[in-house]
Amino acid sequence: MIQRRPFFLTFLAPAVVTAVILAAALFEVLQYSVREFVPGSLNVGGFTLENFTRINRPIYWWVLLDTFYISLLTAIFSLLLSYPVAFALVRAKRDWVRSLLVSLSITPLFTGEIVRTFSWMLMLGSDGFINSLLRKLSLIDLPLLIMYTRLGVVVALVQFSMPVMIILLATAISHVDRDCEKAAANLGASPGAVFWRITLPLTLPGMLSGIVVVFAWTMSAFSTPQLIGGGKVLMISNLVYLQGFSVLNLPFAATLSLIALIAALGSLVLMKALTGRLEKRLAVR
Amino acid sequence: MTATSQAPAAVELVRVRKEFGSAVGVADVSLKIGQGEFLTLLGPSGCGKSTLLGMIAGFLTPTAGKIVVDGVDITDVEPYRRDIGMVFQSYALFPHMNVFDNIAFGLRMRKLPKAEIAAEVRRAIEMMKLDGFAERRVSQLSGGQQQRVALARAVVIRPKVLLLDEPLSALDKNLRAQMQVELSELHRKTGLTTIFVTHDQGEALSLSDRIVVMNRGEVQQVASPIELYRTPANGFVASFIGEINALPVARYERTGNEAALVLPGVGRLAAPARDSGLIHGSAVRAFLRPEHVRPALPDEAGPNTVSGVVAAHIYQGSHTITRVEVDGLGLIETRVTGADIVSAHPVGAPIALMLDLGEAVLLAAH
Amino acid sequence: MTFARLRSLGFWSLVVAILTYMTLPTLVVLMTSVNPTEILAFPPEGVSFQWYEKALTYPDFQRAFKNGLIVTSLASTLALIVGSAFAWLVYRYSFRGRGVLEAVLWSPLIIPHFTLGFGFLLLGGAFKLQQGYGMIVLAHMVLVMPFVTRAVYVSLATIDPNLARAAANLGASPFHVLTRIELPLVLPGMAGGWLIAAVLSLTEFTASLYVTGSRTQTLPVAMYNYIREYADPTVSAVSAMLIITTTLIMFIADRAFGLRRVLAIDTH
Repeated sequence: MIQRRPFFLTFLAPAVVTAVILAAALFEVLQYSVREFVPGSLNVGGFTLENFTRINRPIYWWVLLDTFYISLLTAIFSLLLSYPVAFALVRAKRDWVRSLLVSLSITPLFTGEIVRTFSWMLMLGSDGFINSLLRKLSLIDLPLLIMYTRLGVVVALVQFSMPVMIILLATAISHVDRDCEKAAANLGASPGAVFWRITLPLTLPGMLSGIVVVFAWTMSAFSTPQLIGGGKVLMISNLVYLQGFSVLNLPFAATLSLIALIAALGSLVLMKALTGRLEKRLAVR
Repeated sequence: MTATSQAPAAVELVRVRKEFGSAVGVADVSLKIGQGEFLTLLGPSGCGKSTLLGMIAGFLTPTAGKIVVDGVDITDVEPYRRDIGMVFQSYALFPHMNVFDNIAFGLRMRKLPKAEIAAEVRRAIEMMKLDGFAERRVSQLSGGQQQRVALARAVVIRPKVLLLDEPLSALDKNLRAQMQVELSELHRKTGLTTIFVTHDQGEALSLSDRIVVMNRGEVQQVASPIELYRTPANGFVASFIGEINALPVARYERTGNEAALVLPGVGRLAAPARDSGLIHGSAVRAFLRPEHVRPALPDEAGPNTVSGVVAAHIYQGSHTITRVEVDGLGLIETRVTGADIVSAHPVGAPIALMLDLGEAVLLAAH
Repeated sequence: MTFARLRSLGFWSLVVAILTYMTLPTLVVLMTSVNPTEILAFPPEGVSFQWYEKALTYPDFQRAFKNGLIVTSLASTLALIVGSAFAWLVYRYSFRGRGVLEAVLWSPLIIPHFTLGFGFLLLGGAFKLQQGYGMIVLAHMVLVMPFVTRAVYVSLATIDPNLARAAANLGASPFHVLTRIELPLVLPGMAGGWLIAAVLSLTEFTASLYVTGSRTQTLPVAMYNYIREYADPTVSAVSAMLIITTTLIMFIADRAFGLRRVLAIDTH
């Protein structure tokens, strides 16, 4: 008999064990989300759906809306700022320029959220870089309040999400058939028209997936709203932390985590549907 | 032809079948390949030739049937225990090894002593004219050199059978012609039973002892190159091997030693009276090669002279193919040496053609 | 100046401005880390390494760094082993339940880190393992595994499938095909994936905040706790060291293993 699947079980077993552990952790969140909160205790009571009905209060709605709003703003600004960089990164004529652009735009991804959030605290604080600079130039007398505002949070989050956006856009731009652009130019389109009529529409699926990925990613941001928002800007992650570690209401924290997970999954499903349709429309045949 | 039915077959396929889901890749193929024979599997892409090769090598398991090599049923033997050499279309040279290590790989897997491996590899390198390249990385080699390494690697293990999966298709035209000669030489030197897969009929005709023409998973004809060209067994083989004019379906009439084709709108054409098993009054189709059609001489008039209008000339250097629209026969191609016909009969001019139906292949029409 | 030159100049100025916005915070961190005083001053009034000294001698950071090394080395190596095996499995075989397994193992890319961290916190509680190294390593491993799997899978996918067949044809058993052909060819991908995993694990914060305790906290968690209490540039020094380390690792990884391919960044 031909041995059809050498190493199959040996290689499968560790993956299955890992998947089971991961699933168990997620199941614990689900399990806690339908348990009763016992005030003053980390133990939980019996089955209840009360945690889910509790969401239906204005303060929680506002946190959810704020989370959506901040994530959407971040996604849009991230797209606007990333597109030129991604375009330059793909189309730069010199090799070293491309390498430099890749390094500058991608390495921030790997310094970690704490380092990056902290660096923005140094930038935005009332004694921070921006305020010191502006005061030195005598443009302002009193420090601008950017820390502890939505603006500050968005400014940091946009920078935070740009590497991912740039990767996605660069991939989309590099897949544009240059002959299409040449054909358009040959038919009399100016460089501007080539970009707006050919290149940009062809990268629309990439832009869309970039927006959704950054949106989903930002919705689960924690340290930036925590430290730069400083309690004045609450996103769902901060609420989970507050409920879990200050109020010690683990069931409600679990419910909120679950909602965040569903929102992230939901936006991804939405993206698949939208980009799928777009790509079908853009396909030549 | 080396293969005879009495000699023990090197490879025998017994009703080998391969299905992919509901599609049939190879339909019940039975074949005997003689010791030392050079056999070609020829057909268009998707005809099942590569699938058949994959089953012989052991990468695919037949749905039914068995494969016997040197008298041993190897249908269920793992590929790495088959001792069958193979050259892949992409060569599949190991990119992380140099030329020497690539060629030595099979011998190392057989746990031969080091000294013996070195000697064998050196012989193979010499035979394939790769001297001086032993330490090169395979990525530094030209296409032709890579091809030779792939051949050396497959031959050095002294396989029972050598499989060649379109090994020439990645080479440019000049190199291909040269490698054909080298392949032929290699076969002569090693005497290896060789199964060669190609879609190129030129390669097949020039290299093979026998050719197996396949289409849609089925064997159409097994014959020597000359037989195949002269007496194709059916319409597919006739039109796949070389260029050929397929005349419209005609009525076959036979009286004594004379035979004729009766075509509506054309009349009677004299046909060869060979004993072809065709029945008087049956429907037949004649296939005629372009070299058997020529422009009629000015005063020539015979039973097989037809007239038409020149539709196009395709100048090919040594010869010219001329397409003529003949009433009742459709487009007929003629092949004549040189380019005189282009000026003698410009496009649109009338032309008379002489059909040498004595060379035609007559096949019963369904 | 022609219109085309002008447009090109405008475009590149825009790119430079955006890149300044992206890199300025990092530069400010590096600047403050060598600032002699606690108050930031621009331009700096000298160079001092006192904050580095303070960072390196601060017991919490020392312990957190050690914890981080333990967690990172274990988590990324486990992720390398399990992820490579799984990538090979996906590359080689199709089997029932493969889609589900893939979805579960890829999901940490989508699931918010705080949800995952919270889940592992609760799981640890259920097995009385909360705040222990075991749970931290597991959480990190699950988080970084998709990156290793992807890196190895990309490497595998670029291998001509006929190489394995050719090796088998020449007499190599499945074990030999794996060790002599496939392993050497994916080694760069594995190394690259491992480095990415290590860097991500070393700098992971949100999930770590949930699963670590004061004894087992990793460096980012210790930094977070420090920032909340003090306002001096000690964290700048730690950040600077992290930035330099990760940038160096990524640079080496890119040079040695073609990180761009692993991250699927097509420039051409």
